[in-house]
Amino acid sequence: MDQLRKDFSTVTIALIVVALAINIVVGTIIFQLKVPFVYLDSIGTILVGLLAGPWAGLVTGILSNLLWGLLGNPGYVPYAPVAGVIGLMAGIFGSMGWFKSWWKWLLAGLITGLVAALLSAPITAYVYGGVTGAGTDLIVGMFRATGSSIMEAALGQGLITDLIDKTFSFFVVWLIVKALPTTLLTRFSRSQNVLEMGDVDLENILDQ
Amino acid sequence: MTSATLYIDRDAGLQRLHPLTKLVISLFLIVLALVIPNMWAGYIVFLLGVVPLALWGGILQPLWSALWKIVLPFAISMFVIQGLFWTGGTPVVELGPLSFKAEGLVFATTITGRLLAIMGSFLLLSLGTPPDDLMISLEERGVPNSVTYIVLSTMQLVPGLQVRAGKIRDAQRARGLETEGSILQRMRSMMPLVEPLVLGSIIDVDERAIALEARGFSREASKSFYRPVPDRRWEQILRWMLFIASILLIVLRIFWPLINRYYLGAG
Amino acid sequence: MIIDLEDIAYAYPQATKPALRGITLSVPEGQFLAVVGGNRAGKSTLCYVLSGFIPHHFKGTYRGKIEVAGMDLTQSSLGEIAGKVGLVFSNPFNQISGARFTVEEEVAFGLENLGVPREEMHERVHRALETTGLAEVAGRSPYALSGGQQQRLALASMLVMEPQLLVLDEPTSQLDPAGKIEVFEVLNRLADEKVMTVVIVEHELEWIGDFADRVIVMHEGRIVNDGDPREVLVDEALVAMGVGNTAYTSVAREAREQGLVNNDGLLPVTLDQAVDFFSGT
Repeated sequence: MDQLRKDFSTVTIALIVVALAINIVVGTIIFQLKVPFVYLDSIGTILVGLLAGPWAGLVTGILSNLLWGLLGNPGYVPYAPVAGVIGLMAGIFGSMGWFKSWWKWLLAGLITGLVAALLSAPITAYVYGGVTGAGTDLIVGMFRATGSSIMEAALGQGLITDLIDKTFSFFVVWLIVKALPTTLLTRFSRSQNVLEMGDVDLENILDQ
Repeated sequence: MTSATLYIDRDAGLQRLHPLTKLVISLFLIVLALVIPNMWAGYIVFLLGVVPLALWGGILQPLWSALWKIVLPFAISMFVIQGLFWTGGTPVVELGPLSFKAEGLVFATTITGRLLAIMGSFLLLSLGTPPDDLMISLEERGVPNSVTYIVLSTMQLVPGLQVRAGKIRDAQRARGLETEGSILQRMRSMMPLVEPLVLGSIIDVDERAIALEARGFSREASKSFYRPVPDRRWEQILRWMLFIASILLIVLRIFWPLINRYYLGAG
Repeated sequence: MIIDLEDIAYAYPQATKPALRGITLSVPEGQFLAVVGGNRAGKSTLCYVLSGFIPHHFKGTYRGKIEVAGMDLTQSSLGEIAGKVGLVFSNPFNQISGARFTVEEEVAFGLENLGVPREEMHERVHRALETTGLAEVAGRSPYALSGGQQQRLALASMLVMEPQLLVLDEPTSQLDPAGKIEVFEVLNRLADEKVMTVVIVEHELEWIGDFADRVIVMHEGRIVNDGDPREVLVDEALVAMGVGNTAYTSVAREAREQGLVNNDGLLPVTLDQAVDFFSGT
């Protein structure tokens, strides 16, 4: 498919590298700041989905978690499918033009957070028995004490965190893209997701 | 500052193995830990699989030091939460108004053991294998060069970005930004730290893509290898054997209940 | 002619006016051509046209014929152009691919993409490392080099591919003085050895006076002067354009106007020319 070939152009590949590095470095910054409920470790993934399409977003998400594994944090590896879906959804919402109005884009973040939580719960339940060693395990304990299954408990913990984190991440991506020069945005395969395509008179511009 | 790799270079047996052999061994150990239906499976795989291999590579100490930092907080959480709050479980140890349930403790033990084995195998791979050797040997076997490029280039970019992040933090602090203190202060410091970093990096993508193209990155010709990774016959055989064994174990595990019933006459 | 541009006009996407207006340029093989001009003159745009990144990477609107190294660049893909035309730009860090962990392998990367056989690769890589003075750091990480070394690495990575045309867009502008000297040394060797056609955008007018075969001056998207370095660079109009004249030119002009020297010949651009000018030859 022609769009797929365009989506995985050299520019996309170069973007993916930077996006993956951003995921790791920004994620580390936020971790060191110790801000609650916010991870900001998928900004790169969302950016790729928005600018280069859902499939590129999917690949970025999956590679992001695998890379965390290769760099000494194998705990994230089982969540690779979730990260992939985040990129996929950012791409889908981008293609639907939801970036063009700020409230739709924030809503997209909220929905993505919900989906991320729903997908993470079974993984947390199966791989980690519902517990991840983070502070939010207290929430799991709370749910368990009130009689939930491991899965439901994991879902409760994930829901609050993911809703906040993903909505905020989408917001940050919005700020970033708005601050980028428009000529730069035209390089990406899905620039129509973020730009109003030119009303410049192309026919005569060369004669000016 | 070179790359964000964990690889520990030693002139030891483990390091001399072909990277794909190490990959297959790690995956095999993970399969073992998941497939054996015993509470202590993870611990056995760790002690009999991961530890000897780590010793063989002279990396046991760094491996353990990275591993317990991941597993210990998790294990504590696990034992406390699943142990104390297991719904409808049989109490075993009293702790004031709460009690540890047997099922919860068994569950926590199993999962912790599994985690030990799985994370241990992963660390075995990352500490014992140079990432560029691993990616090149995958490329030699048909993995697209874009995938190996992405992995290696990211690993080299991360330290540089972290240095840039540090410079941004210093510059912002000099302008009066508070990065410690109350939650509100820390939250407000997020954007001034993150935004310049991300913007600058995305702007670089343009030139990085141009440089890649100038090196023929998107050329469709078949590629050659400057520094191929040497392989050995016995390692190739070992990899195939481990691969087949993994498949057999997985199949066995899936169909164990059926086998149990029809061939072994149990219930 | 290795470069044959005919009436090229080009506008970047989202731009309101064109960056190049009616550029016609023919360059014979082996020529060392320097490009000077003020800001926004279109020099970088010209570099991208010569290497095919306009139109393939930058897109936008264009008109005219672009023939380089025997190819119609508008019809060839960037993958096909790589290896025939090399491009070096000013940011050393962004030119490191990051695909490999050592300088040596980084240089070889382009050849791997071209599918060059291994023995030939080793030979070419070592030659490129020698030419750029990087042989001692062959085993080091590309990210552990100084700016000057990284820019020489970018040069080596292009030279190793043995392009017919090498385009350099302000290769020293982001380097410290030491780095600048290192890179100019390599470029001097290139100019002397005449292995390939070179187009270089630079601001070091004296260096251009010493080494270039030909200079073109760009202003507002057009070529406004084209010829022998000495004839082109002594033009006083260059000062208003933001290019300037060398100190030798300015001093000599002033001296002549003041009647301090009696020489009606061409003003000097370089030190040697200034010495000759003032000693009356």
